[in-house]
Amino acid sequence: MKYKDYYAILGVERGASEADIKKAYRKLARKYHPDVSKEAGAEEKFKEVSEAYQTLSDTEKRAAYDQLGSYRPGEDFRPSQDWETRFGREGFEDFDLGDLFAHFGGYSRRSGGAHAGRGFKMPGQDYEATAPLTLEDAARGTEVELNLSAPSMSAGSMRGSAGKTRVRVPKGAVDGQRLRVPGKGGPGVGGGLAGDLYLNIKLRPHALFRPAGHDLYLELPIAPWEAVLGAQIEVPTLDGRVNLNIRPGSRSGQKLRLTGKGLPKPGSGAGDLYCVLQIVTPTKLSDREKALYEELRKISAFDPRADRGGAA
Amino acid sequence: MTSTSLYFLDDDTYIALDELTQASGLEERQIVELVEFGVFEPRHHANDLLFSARCIVKARQAARLQRAFDLDSNGLALALTYLDRIEMLEQQLRKLECQLLR
Repeated sequence: MKYKDYYAILGVERGASEADIKKAYRKLARKYHPDVSKEAGAEEKFKEVSEAYQTLSDTEKRAAYDQLGSYRPGEDFRPSQDWETRFGREGFEDFDLGDLFAHFGGYSRRSGGAHAGRGFKMPGQDYEATAPLTLEDAARGTEVELNLSAPSMSAGSMRGSAGKTRVRVPKGAVDGQRLRVPGKGGPGVGGGLAGDLYLNIKLRPHALFRPAGHDLYLELPIAPWEAVLGAQIEVPTLDGRVNLNIRPGSRSGQKLRLTGKGLPKPGSGAGDLYCVLQIVTPTKLSDREKALYEELRKISAFDPRADRGGAA
Repeated sequence: MTSTSLYFLDDDTYIALDELTQASGLEERQIVELVEFGVFEPRHHANDLLFSARCIVKARQAARLQRAFDLDSNGLALALTYLDRIEMLEQQLRKLECQLLR
């Protein structure tokens, strides 16, 4: 078993009072709580801090932890024979220290003694995982394999490795969407129900489309003459290319809506695809093109700054 | 390895109070208090309260905050209101970013 220095994690002395431990935890929780903090790695840090606090804030767990002795963080150790006998834990070389103490309290508090854990029923841990999906996969629905090995925090306490699980994400998920998979969390103890898996959907950036809910935005570059004269151009959508009419006199930033060409919604219906026009000017001109632009300048009465009285 | 279907936690699915307590880890009393504060707006169906499945996300968030900061329902309701507001603003920001030209 790998040693974790819960005191160091909370930044307190080994002999710290309950009040000091609580104070240190509060401070770190405010800094790293995943619902509040956007700091990189905040979630992992918060799990560490919570695990430390859950053990050190419980008198019984803290006493047992203290009696494990002191090692370097990450150092492999084995509790003494005496400790195992006293606290009724045996053969846990592969155990995570957090797991050990998460169960420790449950057994001893509820059944009044270290050895009396048999027959105690506890629902399994809920897991939370993030599934990064491509837009195409989100639109069609897809199967994802989730690696649940990272410790996961939820309604109860912290648990360690959970292995892999495969789930089917139905079509229509959007960025930030939450889904629930009943029974795919950690196994229950003593016949308790398995926990649930909560899945956060994260859409990977797409080369062309930018999603906002079920709507998609597509930047559509057009030539100045296409904007002025109008044109029919082919645009990509999630299900193939379609023809789009650009009306004469179109402007940059104008949005053209393709109804129902956004992301499908669960069940039926779909968002819309908005093509945002962007007039792009040519930078390399042939002599002939240059001459035509020169001619246009001479004969055109168009003044883009007319509404400013001609001043830029 | 078997494959399971997921359920969207959205406004189209409704769940009962006991399912919400079980899914969130909050006590029934706490959920009822949060309803009084307007954090959750359940539908009344006969004598039961029906919550949209989206409430599970918020109730779990409430349970996490409550555990970490020892908040009472007042403080919890306030924190959740602010977090909602931040999420709404972030969504608006994302939408505006989508419309901006690169």
